[in-house]
Amino acid sequence: MTEHIIAQPMSIQRYKATIKAWCTDVLIWSYSCIVLFKIAYQQWWLDLRYVDFSWHEPLYCFVVAMVLASVLIYTRCSIGKALFGLITFKEGQSIFRASSVRLALVKLLLTFAAGLHVSQVSMHEFLSPSGLAGAQRIFSALLSPNFAIFEDALFAAIETVYMAFVATALAIPVAFVLAFFAARNLMKHSAASFALYAVIRFFMNLTRSIEPLVWAIIFSVWVGIGPFSGMLALFLHSVASLTKLYSEQIEAIHDGPVEAMTATGAHPVQVIWYGVVPQIILPYLSYTIYRWDINVRMATVIGLVGGGGIGTMLMQYQGLARWNEVGMLVIVIATIVWLMDYASARIRAHLK
Amino acid sequence: MPLLHAEHISKTYPNGTQALKGIDIEVEQGEFLVVIGLSGSGKSTLLRCINQLHTVSSGRIVFDDAEITALKGRRLRQARSRIGMIFQQFNLIPRKTVLTNVLSGALARTPVIKSLLGMYSAEDKQKALAYLDIVGLAQKAYVRADNLSGGQQQRVAIARALMQDPKILLADEPVASLDPSTSHSVMKYLQKINQELGVTVICNLHFLSLVRTYATRVIALKEGQLVYQGAPSDIDEQWFKTIYGEDAVEVSIN
Repeated sequence: MTEHIIAQPMSIQRYKATIKAWCTDVLIWSYSCIVLFKIAYQQWWLDLRYVDFSWHEPLYCFVVAMVLASVLIYTRCSIGKALFGLITFKEGQSIFRASSVRLALVKLLLTFAAGLHVSQVSMHEFLSPSGLAGAQRIFSALLSPNFAIFEDALFAAIETVYMAFVATALAIPVAFVLAFFAARNLMKHSAASFALYAVIRFFMNLTRSIEPLVWAIIFSVWVGIGPFSGMLALFLHSVASLTKLYSEQIEAIHDGPVEAMTATGAHPVQVIWYGVVPQIILPYLSYTIYRWDINVRMATVIGLVGGGGIGTMLMQYQGLARWNEVGMLVIVIATIVWLMDYASARIRAHLK
Repeated sequence: MPLLHAEHISKTYPNGTQALKGIDIEVEQGEFLVVIGLSGSGKSTLLRCINQLHTVSSGRIVFDDAEITALKGRRLRQARSRIGMIFQQFNLIPRKTVLTNVLSGALARTPVIKSLLGMYSAEDKQKALAYLDIVGLAQKAYVRADNLSGGQQQRVAIARALMQDPKILLADEPVASLDPSTSHSVMKYLQKINQELGVTVICNLHFLSLVRTYATRVIALKEGQLVYQGAPSDIDEQWFKTIYGEDAVEVSIN
């Protein structure tokens, strides 16, 4: 029924939708053209090792796509039209019988095939005799770990756990305060507070979108290689993640207690302390423990780029190709991660 | 001079809904005023405008000789502290004890730092226990509020409102989530507060049988406008149909 209503000549909305559909089609077809030309034709069919690139090529593809899209917009084969609700699907019929959907599936297949080619997936390499011999060598070394370095590995692992713990602990108060300023429902009431909200959200998203691994590299230049740089990287990333998780929790609270506290004539700080905090404290604890758990795992990876702890040790032995020692470290890491995972799951289950 | 005086107040929400369209009311000290009307007629908005949980779009409200619609910051909070409010969903603080909930009614007169540490004055603590006694929950002071039944939670909310030493108590459909017998018990507590403590009550209600039992005066809202004002006994069949529509049939709870 609703499809019918949309299909009525509500001209302006239909125009807008058609333009959007056409633009979508142009983008989809430009992409298809360039993939077909560069990967399917040049790399795979002609088997060129070094493919030249010039900005004329995407431009030509764009022109071809515009022509194609302009033709297809009058047919039922337009993916854009299907996306923007301009094609009525027959009721009771599988949507996979619609030509637009089938075309979209073909595009998906094309992307998958191109992906296989770009990733250089090769069963030949995977099962070659020399490769298998190497795999056997490393696995047998890993499976006979060198227990002589057990104490060193344990101390490094403890360093990693402490590093993760301090990073989490320092992140909690910062994220706790920032979360209130990053919660839409508390900040939307005035233009100034909303601007602050937007700025904090932006910086938090930016911080979060940069991997802790990259932060660790930055801080290892700043404060030198070692646990401190790793801790700083984890701290920064934890602040951003916890702020987001905390603020989402604040956004999901019931308004009732807030309204009730406001109605008593309480100060805004009191309103937050009595109306908001009791509602969020348990989920906060749960998230924070989970974060510590994640941080222990991340601390291991960060060690690989010089963030200290067991990761750094792993990198050193791996560089020396001493696989028996690496095997020992892998066992210690797996045990720590498993223990943390188990403990945090148990604690969080009790917090519900 | 009436205790509360609303002059031509209108409220338009940001989404364009006109909830109140120029309402004038006067409320005298000691009244039990009941507001009736369909859902969406503006009853809740009217109550929330009185204590400025919602700001009015135009018009003014004078409460206790001060224009509350013009107040801001500390002075607004002080005015609010003299207006208690209870809600349909009780709106107690979850995971806190009954006593903590009642004490939160004293937040306006407790310094911020002390309240964050939960340090209320001994006088307020005694008062809280006394009000819990009035609503018959003295035994439950250290029980978590969310472990109580609906009727008990609403009584905790009443005690919390009383902690404010209010001149007016706003009740936004206080019994709409309760069963009939609990409804009467909660209404009786409101009546007791009105008659014995002299607190003026403004209450939104749905059931006319409750209105006839407890109200001293009734106003009716329809689509944001005042359509009736008078004694509860004067609401006859004709008025009922004007307020609730031609097809409405009266349902009573006993």
